[in-house]
Amino acid sequence: MAITPESGVPEEQRDGVSRRTFLKGAGAVAAVGVSQIPATAVGSVGQEADVDVLGPGPVPIRLRINKTDREVEAPPSTTLLDLLRDHHGLTGSKRVCDRGSCGACTVLLDGRVVDACSMLAIDAVGREITTVEGIGTPENLTALQQAFVEKDALQCGFCTPGMVVSCTALLAENPKPDRDQIRQGIAGNICRCGTYQNIIEAVEHTSRKGGK
Amino acid sequence: MAEEITIKVGFGDHFRDLTVRLQDGDIAPWQPDQQLDVVGQRKPRLDAVAKVTGTAKYAYDQQPKGLLHGKILRSPHGNADIRSVDTTAAAAMPGVRALLTASDVFEDPTARYAGAEVAAVAADTEDQAEAALRAIVVDYDVKDFCVTLDASMAEDAPQVGRGDQKNVERTSPRSRRRRRGGSGEGGGDQQALERMAAREKEVNAILDDCDAVVEGSFRTEVQTHAPLETHGSVCSWEDGRLVCWASTQATFGFRREMTSNWSPVGAQECRVLCEYVGGGFGSKFSAGREGVLGALLAKQAGAPVKLLLDRSGEQTSAGNRPDSLQKMRMGVDKDGSIRGFQIRSWGTPGSGTGGAGAHNDGIYELGEIDKVEYGVRTNCGGARAHRAPGWPQGSVALEQIMNMAATAIGMDPVEFRKKNDSHPIRIHEYDLAKERIGWDQQRIRGGAANLCTGVGMASNLWFSAGGGGASVLVRIAKDGSVEVRNGAQDIGTGTRTVMGMVAAEEIGIPLEMITTRIGDTDDPQGPMSGGSTTIGTVTPAARLAAHHARKELLEVVAERKGWEVADLDIRKARVIRNDGSDTGLSFQDACLLMDDDAIEVLKARPRRNYAGFSDTNAGVQAAEVEVDMETGVVQVKKVVAVADAGKLINPLTAESQVRGGVIQGVSFALHERRIMDRHQGRMLNDDLENYKVLGSVDCPEIDVVLLDVYNGKSNTQVMGLGEPPIVATAAAVANAVADAIGTRVFQLPLTPKNVLEAIAMKKAANKPGTKKGARL
Repeated sequence: MAITPESGVPEEQRDGVSRRTFLKGAGAVAAVGVSQIPATAVGSVGQEADVDVLGPGPVPIRLRINKTDREVEAPPSTTLLDLLRDHHGLTGSKRVCDRGSCGACTVLLDGRVVDACSMLAIDAVGREITTVEGIGTPENLTALQQAFVEKDALQCGFCTPGMVVSCTALLAENPKPDRDQIRQGIAGNICRCGTYQNIIEAVEHTSRKGGK
Repeated sequence: MAEEITIKVGFGDHFRDLTVRLQDGDIAPWQPDQQLDVVGQRKPRLDAVAKVTGTAKYAYDQQPKGLLHGKILRSPHGNADIRSVDTTAAAAMPGVRALLTASDVFEDPTARYAGAEVAAVAADTEDQAEAALRAIVVDYDVKDFCVTLDASMAEDAPQVGRGDQKNVERTSPRSRRRRRGGSGEGGGDQQALERMAAREKEVNAILDDCDAVVEGSFRTEVQTHAPLETHGSVCSWEDGRLVCWASTQATFGFRREMTSNWSPVGAQECRVLCEYVGGGFGSKFSAGREGVLGALLAKQAGAPVKLLLDRSGEQTSAGNRPDSLQKMRMGVDKDGSIRGFQIRSWGTPGSGTGGAGAHNDGIYELGEIDKVEYGVRTNCGGARAHRAPGWPQGSVALEQIMNMAATAIGMDPVEFRKKNDSHPIRIHEYDLAKERIGWDQQRIRGGAANLCTGVGMASNLWFSAGGGGASVLVRIAKDGSVEVRNGAQDIGTGTRTVMGMVAAEEIGIPLEMITTRIGDTDDPQGPMSGGSTTIGTVTPAARLAAHHARKELLEVVAERKGWEVADLDIRKARVIRNDGSDTGLSFQDACLLMDDDAIEVLKARPRRNYAGFSDTNAGVQAAEVEVDMETGVVQVKKVVAVADAGKLINPLTAESQVRGGVIQGVSFALHERRIMDRHQGRMLNDDLENYKVLGSVDCPEIDVVLLDVYNGKSNTQVMGLGEPPIVATAAAVANAVADAIGTRVFQLPLTPKNVLEAIAMKKAANKPGTKKGARL
């Protein structure tokens, strides 16, 4: 069964899969890992006839990424970040802490920032996903990206995609943020090289010019 | 035939003439009155667009066809020997394509800390690799362990090392025998001990004779590098040749580690690629065990393998800045001169003893010094070089005892520093820092109210003029395109951009007309990014190659046009005459006159540096803090960083380097600390939420003042700026906190707990400062 917004799943199973069915799938993955019991044996335990069990093997997952519908087959346990990076080749979003504390994997979900490492891809079905690649291109930078370039708001660049996404969301929500609001806006993004002040200046510069 | 020239060296109002004998083929350094079009301009990085759009591909992002995923199994025990590793079940698991044990690869059956490598697996997916790791059965001979400095230094401490290794070993001064690689025992050491005893007696006598003696015992904690991109590589064997996309600070060093005869990899040929690297800060000089395991897994599997560490692996096993315990006594006279300085310091670099020294006996004129230093083994992950290794922790102690000494004789700390400073640049930097931080402003300080502010100052010192070991290829093509190539990496400092700027300046074209290629060992050799020497090593080669490429182009023009070559120059992409008039020929049209497809010039950097203006670069920093006396929370409001780094090529990226150093320094001062579980022997905060690094909300305002110094040491006379700005920051913050709360916090980080303890101790004791303190 492909997980798509059109799958006709019951309403309470938001985003195409219920927590319960997912947990069953995930449980099977873990069990195989630890004790090598065949997946079929685990899958049959307590299985209810009226519920679709997804995984642990790959299932088709169709997502709307950067205004394009894209479908790949991946295990339902795949995080949104891994799906973007490993299945769609969108490597702008980085895996750094892998637990939602650094913001390097920040993407927009219906315009709001999320840590892509800490959500399942199947939970993003039916949502509008925007990665750094969907914000501006090398040939067509946004005003914010241009300001990042000019203000040198990057050093090694590994946190930069997440910073760009967070600041884009900040300016969309609040076109005239003050310094403290900018600091708060990127409080979930860690930069180890120390570009915070340059980023703040880049956001201020963009805001002054009325850009995004 | 060396040419002798006279150049101007210095800065601001402090220039003098210097006679320099140019090495064969070298060109004269730029002069202060020379009009430069590109160098000195604030230029955005050449790779900035790739970085802001997410199109920059790091090692972590490489996905060659058929990529397998590598994972490392780590020991959970604080200290163990590995009796056996049973991989039978793991090898038979789904998707597993290669499996290695660390004891086989490294011929080392010990696992001396929790996190030590035990085995590695490559599988089709990450999940499969992790599942396989869980199926590996290891028989450990578990031993007692020490994971803190104090535990290891205790009298009845368990042995950390093996054989006759002691937990605590003197690392400086070294005995004659040790210097020759001996064990440090026996007659050679006896002589060293006698010399040390004599020195101690001598300095004790001086201290006894001083007007005031201050003493302190300072501690700093282990700081991890936490680069956002972890360590490791994507390795692929192609027709017997190893290709590594590595996250490294040393492309050529990485290659050497893969191809040397001592390497477990032993590749005949290897190409290392590293166009971008997500931070290193000193921890990525070596390929590390992760690099070796990745290459060998790929070989065994016959397929490309990605093995970059997970965050826990990075935090526990990929290096750190050692902690320190520094006991000091400083003797001063009332006129402000420092006469004697006694230092005993300890630090742990993990299970070894080297590399944990603290640079706490430099920067100032410190009189007669008696210093003994010890390395302390602990069952913790090993240290690696960390942005100015040994300096920030040394500075934290030195700069605080400097302030204590100034206070003891009633002298302003800045005047006290000036009195004991002979650096030709730094001596002019103090007043700049003083003015911009508002040093003499009225403040509520000394714990006089609930919210107190304070200011503190500290100094930098660095040694980064670069040296030999770099060649640059400049290629001017018939179609007018210009390429500049060097195989070294840019770790985020902006090396790529400055290399391009120097070549653009020398050829006489805008930066935008240049394409740079870096991070590829198939290109001309370059240095590792260490000691802040990359820019000083690469740019003179770039300038020299560009100089000769331009000369060859002008020779073509002169010949084809029948002009006098000595009368020609290129400026702003136009061919001009010496009188400044335009020849009517653009750079592009000039290139079209070539018979060949391109002019290619490869030039090496002259190995030696000239005497120059100053062998070192300096810097002064001043911090302003606000401390809440009730909660102990320290907020760094502002840091003024006066910095110099020879000739400024790109003030925009230079400023970023300083800001970055300051931010890491503030982070070290306020937050960073590796926490070890004394019962289990494991690192508790091996992640990025409990290992706290400075975030945007805590980030102070940073005011960078850059001095442009014509130091004359090379043809670009530039010095690196990666490390110097981190030296002083934590010390300046610590001094500011002492100024604010009216007592000193001897323990970093300056957490609320440590600050409140210091305030409470002051209230309890409330007695005046020490004079003529007890001997160490």
